Amino acid sequence: MKFFYLLRNFIFIFFLFFLFQLNQKVYAAENIYIDKIIQRGYLNVGLPPYTTPPFYYLDPKDKKLKGYDIDIIEGFAKEIGVRVVFDRDSTSFNNLVKRSGAGDFDMAIGKLGTTFKRMSDAHPHEYMNFRHALLSNRKFVNSLGVAPDNPNYGNELLNSSMKIGFIDRSAYDTYANSLFSNAEKIGYKNWAECKNALLKGKVDAIYRDATEIKKIVYQKPNLSIEYVPILFDDIIDQKSIFLSTEANTYLSDILDYYLKRKEIKTDSEIMKDYSSFYEPIN
Amino acid sequence: MSQLTKLKMTNSFTNFRSILTTLRKPKYFLLIIFPLGLIIGTFLPGISRSLNDLGFTLIQLISYPAIPLVLTAVIISVYSILTLDKSNKNNFFARKLILSLIIFTFVASILALALSLYQKPGILSPDGKVSIGKFMLDITDINLTVFSSDIADPLANNTSWLQSVIPSNILSDAANSNTLKVISGSLLAGYGLSIIPQDVSKPLVSLLRSINSLSVKILDELLLLSPILLICLIAGAITSINTEIIIALLNVTICILVSAVACLGISRLIIKRYTSKEEKKLLETNPADSVFIVGLSTGSSMACYPTITNTLKFIGRASSQVEASTSLSLLISRLGNVVYNVIAIVFALNLYEVRLSPLVLIQIIILGVVTGISSAGLNGVAVVPTIAIALMFFQVPAPPILLLLLAIDPIMTLPRAAISGVMALCISVISSNESVVEAG
Repeated sequence: MKFFYLLRNFIFIFFLFFLFQLNQKVYAAENIYIDKIIQRGYLNVGLPPYTTPPFYYLDPKDKKLKGYDIDIIEGFAKEIGVRVVFDRDSTSFNNLVKRSGAGDFDMAIGKLGTTFKRMSDAHPHEYMNFRHALLSNRKFVNSLGVAPDNPNYGNELLNSSMKIGFIDRSAYDTYANSLFSNAEKIGYKNWAECKNALLKGKVDAIYRDATEIKKIVYQKPNLSIEYVPILFDDIIDQKSIFLSTEANTYLSDILDYYLKRKEIKTDSEIMKDYSSFYEPIN
Repeated sequence: MSQLTKLKMTNSFTNFRSILTTLRKPKYFLLIIFPLGLIIGTFLPGISRSLNDLGFTLIQLISYPAIPLVLTAVIISVYSILTLDKSNKNNFFARKLILSLIIFTFVASILALALSLYQKPGILSPDGKVSIGKFMLDITDINLTVFSSDIADPLANNTSWLQSVIPSNILSDAANSNTLKVISGSLLAGYGLSIIPQDVSKPLVSLLRSINSLSVKILDELLLLSPILLICLIAGAITSINTEIIIALLNVTICILVSAVACLGISRLIIKRYTSKEEKKLLETNPADSVFIVGLSTGSSMACYPTITNTLKFIGRASSQVEASTSLSLLISRLGNVVYNVIAIVFALNLYEVRLSPLVLIQIIILGVVTGISSAGLNGVAVVPTIAIALMFFQVPAPPILLLLLAIDPIMTLPRAAISGVMALCISVISSNESVVEAG
């Protein structure tokens, strides 16, 4: 009788163990990279060391990272069933992409422009689409001697010997070198320094995407008198999430599937959706 | 229809006509028309938009006799000047006319410069800069398509400008309302008419005079509608124009309005000084007032033509001289545009903090005169872009300035026309005289 009692308990324990093992199999992913992320419990994401509202910024109220890029990546992490841990130790945009390619994190996000150079470092996945733009001193625009509505104006501008400012080691550093061949190109440490250089007359124009250029005049409308946004309707800055080769092999499909369900935002849509960031500030 | 009904209708029309005529007087303009326009524009914005459309329709109606008037006035004027010179060596009309045109052009531009130096248009408060900046947002952006744009032919623009001046077919130019081509074509036609034998030219001149008289009469009748037109335009302007911009550009607006009043004062003095005792006896009031009101209420300097010519002919001035001097000063030397352009240039230079050195002041006068005269044949908002030439010379960005000026142009066009009208009256009063032998 005792033997049967022990056998019954043994079978019950064995059954419980079997069930536990079965349960373990359900929560493990067959995709070994995703499985690694799940085991780790978080998605390791590289983010630039800057603050760029409304894309990624620290909310002054709760000191938490917020913004469109943060929402995108947290939404993706939620689909996998993990949280996000941000790595903000990169020294520049280019360094961030390079580190992503080297596998320092699972992916890098932060309004990162796509260039051929960056594509040789990491694999891009498009999620935003912004026009290239300049904020130029109106006197410089006038000095070109061609009216802006003249079809030749674009070529005159690209071939001019203007002084153009941009963030050093950013995608716009690369774009400036390929598009503005005769310009005097000056890289600045960050966007604030670029703006300062323009306002002090050290450069004729500063170069970035439309959301950043338009933000300057929207926030300080009086600057519209002296400065004018020049928007290149046919030169598009494709903003991408960058993955290393290993991460791309395993995450490419799921990431593309996720991004496909989100619309690719244009600069106009971002400025409309996040209009509170494009209002005058005192 | 019974005789009584017909009589009643005639009486009603006569009464309506006399009310409209009375409303054209300056005191009614200030006491009734202007406040009524303001009240409707402020409190009834829905109606004001419809009134604005009605106002533009009435302008179209008033402009209807303009082209035949310009065509005939210029041909007759040129013919008169050239034949007068030949027929009467002692007559200095042509010389007096040219001299007074030059003197008045520079006097008007110096007056505008002095007023703008005093009023300082373009020097803005921080709030004013924000208002202007907000207005410029998005509208002044430069959108470029670099890789898909067509390369323009550099000669194309020059060709099109020349083509807009050189007449092609005077009748088709008139039919297409190409005022600039009509003026240049008429100048040539007037010259041609003056060199053919008088027995051949006489019937043609007579026909042109008849067309001119008909146009003047129609214009004069249509001008009865000017009080209604003005109420519509003021109400429409109050509703459609961004009030923040008007406040931000208040200095420019005041400067032009003060210039208009100053020009009215000058013209009143000149009429007193250059009319004889006998002529003064014939005039019930100073004609400068009615010319000023016509210009102000229609926004068209050409609408002042019948008032000026009729008044001067009425006091016994030689009709050919009056027609010649009035049409030339209204069509070519448009002093309202000269005054406006000088103020607009100072506004632009102040806005972009260009130092106004003595040399720059001289350049402003010269460019104001040149751009003002180059706007010959242009009306309303079409005048504004002529300032771009001066702005380019001073290396000041033209698009934002033009945008701002265009924003307040529905108001500015009124004093501009009034200045052109009263200054043309001055030129005609000084250059024409009583005892000249009529030509043609």
